[in-house]
Amino acid sequence: MIELIDVTKIYEVNKKESVRALSHINLKIKEGELVILKGSSGSGKSTILSLIAALSKPTSGEVLVDTKKISKLPDNFSSEYRRDNIGFVFQKYNLIPNLSVKENILLPLVPLNLDAQSMHQMSESVMQRFHIEHKQDVLVRNLSGGEQQRAAIARANINNPKIILADEPTANLDEKLSLHFIEMLRELKASNKTIVIATHDPLFFGLDFVDREIQVHNGSLVL
Amino acid sequence: MKNKTWLQSVLNIYLIEYALSAILRQKYKNFFILSIFTFLTFLLASVFFITNSIKYELESTLEALPQIIVQKIKAGRQDDMDVSAVDEILSIAGVSDAVARVWGYYYFQNAGVNFTLVGVDEYENQYKNSLEKIVQKFDFNNEENIPSMIVGQGVKENMSRNYYKQYFNFIKSEGTLKKVNIAGVFDADTQLESNDMIVMSKDEVREIFDIQQTKATDIVVKVVNPEEINTIASKIRLMYPECRVITNQDLQVSYQNIFDYKSGIFLALFIVCLFTFFMIVYDKASGLSSEEKREIGILKAIGWRVDDVLKEKFYESFILSFFAYVLGIGFAFAFVYIFQAPLLRNVFIGYSELKTSFELPFVFDTQTLFLVFFLSVPIYVAATILPSWKVATLEADEVIR
Repeated sequence: MIELIDVTKIYEVNKKESVRALSHINLKIKEGELVILKGSSGSGKSTILSLIAALSKPTSGEVLVDTKKISKLPDNFSSEYRRDNIGFVFQKYNLIPNLSVKENILLPLVPLNLDAQSMHQMSESVMQRFHIEHKQDVLVRNLSGGEQQRAAIARANINNPKIILADEPTANLDEKLSLHFIEMLRELKASNKTIVIATHDPLFFGLDFVDREIQVHNGSLVL
Repeated sequence: MKNKTWLQSVLNIYLIEYALSAILRQKYKNFFILSIFTFLTFLLASVFFITNSIKYELESTLEALPQIIVQKIKAGRQDDMDVSAVDEILSIAGVSDAVARVWGYYYFQNAGVNFTLVGVDEYENQYKNSLEKIVQKFDFNNEENIPSMIVGQGVKENMSRNYYKQYFNFIKSEGTLKKVNIAGVFDADTQLESNDMIVMSKDEVREIFDIQQTKATDIVVKVVNPEEINTIASKIRLMYPECRVITNQDLQVSYQNIFDYKSGIFLALFIVCLFTFFMIVYDKASGLSSEEKREIGILKAIGWRVDDVLKEKFYESFILSFFAYVLGIGFAFAFVYIFQAPLLRNVFIGYSELKTSFELPFVFDTQTLFLVFFLSVPIYVAATILPSWKVATLEADEVIR
């Protein structure tokens, strides 16, 4: 279970200026639940994802995942927590453009120093699942937007995480590819993963397999 | 974690692979760094190798110098000494031996070089070990009673190039020729000392240079206690006020002056090398590109720990700098010891003009290799890791945002 308790996040722009991204947020997401965070740009959706992924720490309040206070974790433990629990699909995919699809997908496993056979099996499995195996040796910079997104989803799933976070996953896709992504989401939901999507794309609204839609506005949840 | 070798469990091969790919992804930039780094390592190592060789040569030469040399000065120029002075010098307390030397420089016009003709008497004590070895090893009196000589390797090469393979015709002072057979070639410890040397009997040298039997070129003196060299030199000066008395310390100073002057130039070169190197290091340390920062942010975001990032950066910088180090050392070895340091060697021209030819002897000094290594590789590695550490310890969200 993911739990945000009275979370406030303030970004320091410089010494004089700061931006309040979230203000006293309280949110509970159950295991296996698919939640859509919707709202306009700058409303604070991405910040919620960032806090759940321990990519940043709240200014005040607590973020708990399976009762573990991840907002208090030291940096190295945050990394381990992400590696073991989180699959993050970023808005701009955050792939390394001069590496091949397979190399990008395997990146989260590199520090684990697994044996070659396991690495190969894991990458083959995840590439087949997200239909990108035919592009495995192609450099990411040479892929289309849809292919890049599939590579990013494959990378997010290589470690078989419990939680999938996706930040504006269809922002750079046309409608057809967006619908394809939604189908992939349905598959992921079927595998009982906890999924949180931050989006303002109307295609996500009213989907039958979505458990909850939460409106975020000016750093607060509109319940 | 199955099927892993011991090496794989100690070293993360995938991190090394990633580091290699990171180097290749920025191949133009890294090729530039590799070239500069290799060149600087090459320069630095070459300077140290040349210095080591010269030091070795100098030390060997200084060891072989006589303790005291007595030369007669007449009207401001050196003149032959009376051999009878040997007995008078031997009477000074503390003198263990005195030998009248018969020697001189012989200019070989065809080759444009000077040979040093040294006369020896088999039944006398030799004033240095190298001559003692030559006298014991070679026989100067052959059956046909033809004068013979033992020559240094450099002399042999010079003579052979000018058609004198078996013998050499010396032009005597009155203009006639004296044929002397080449009875052997010696390899001495140092080329500086002996490359141009010809050893033959004293009588032959006297004949070539027209030195009377009662005369000698100079007298070399050995003392029992090296601490007393200056005292004994003073006594000789008092006995022979018309003579110049030179101690090995005086010679050492003149040799070292030449060497120190040259090493000063090299020191300047060394500083220029270091300065350029630190300029690169400063540029590297002053920050990472936005692309590099973003990459570290992505790696952190997908679960890499700070130490994973730093290990990768260590491998990346170590592979690059160590490769450049090995290349630089290899080039320096070839440049100094195979090609005899062309261009840089010219800096030593004053030194080499002392003798017909001078080759840099091979001196393998692990300390020098370590010194060059520690002056280059760890500095570059640190300069790469520090800015990466700064970025890796920031919140991943802040870096990729």
